[in-house]
Amino acid sequence: MSDPALEDWKANSTAFDRVRAVVDTVSEPRSAAWVAAQAAVSENTARDHLRRLEELHVILAVEDGATTRYVPDPLHTRLESVRELLEARRLDELLALKAELQGRIEDWEAEFGVTSPAELRGLAAETRRAAETDAIRETANEWETTAYRLGVVEDAIERSESAGDHDVAPV
Amino acid sequence: MAGDDRDRSYDAGAASHRALRAIRRELERHPLVASVRGFPAETRPRVVAELDPHRLDRAVGSATVTVRWFAGETAASDPEFAFHYSEADGIDCGWHFGPNPHVDGRGHFQERADATEAYRYEAEEFGTLVPARVVWEVMQALEERIEEG
Repeated sequence: MSDPALEDWKANSTAFDRVRAVVDTVSEPRSAAWVAAQAAVSENTARDHLRRLEELHVILAVEDGATTRYVPDPLHTRLESVRELLEARRLDELLALKAELQGRIEDWEAEFGVTSPAELRGLAAETRRAAETDAIRETANEWETTAYRLGVVEDAIERSESAGDHDVAPV
Repeated sequence: MAGDDRDRSYDAGAASHRALRAIRRELERHPLVASVRGFPAETRPRVVAELDPHRLDRAVGSATVTVRWFAGETAASDPEFAFHYSEADGIDCGWHFGPNPHVDGRGHFQERADATEAYRYEAEEFGTLVPARVVWEVMQALEERIEEG
């Protein structure tokens, strides 16, 4: 109650906004009670909103004995991201974005002589200088997100090509 | 077996993508924020919030918060993140969380007087690691930092 950051959040969002924001970013399945505490809503409110989100296929319910726990539905994340890209970009722009993302990954591969973020992390562990270790680990982190994004952009391109893109001049 | 399935279903890139999206939504809701850019429109996974200097009571041309967030290598790992605040010719500071050589714990605050100086670091406790809540906590800390003058 005396947490001013939480009061600010509550003043600028609905209970549904907060439940969704919390459950959308959990890495492990979490119960309605856990989500309720983090979202500053009652457990019943959390449970209602979580059931609604499950019906909409935004999240998945995982039964764990008597407790139901929730995690984001990875398929929903992917499809929503593809949809956003298709609305925001034409096919030629998607192809340019794909090239940019691929370029970044190729640059890291060339710079560090590795082919995956996991390999790059191994390299960070071998480096003795702290500042260098930090920079390498940060790159490995960014690589993971970039690789995921590249997959989403490729999905969007496939969809855009199969739907026939009318915004690109015919060759 | 069940543990293997869980590990396989966790994708650090997807989880970080979701976190950045949630962070963007919270910044868009925040009263101090005029506009948000960067992720997902740009190539780099960074969310950049342009703050309104008037609402912050700062006589500067621009004030931005740049956020990077990594959800963690495994589902059980802590996230790594940074919220960096900078003004045109003014305050340059940030709230960070992750392995670092500067303080004992993972959380720290860093600040420097200007671009020619080195940062000074101090340990910082975060009350939560939920991305949406960290946004509001850091913005609150930023308001407090600005009130200090």
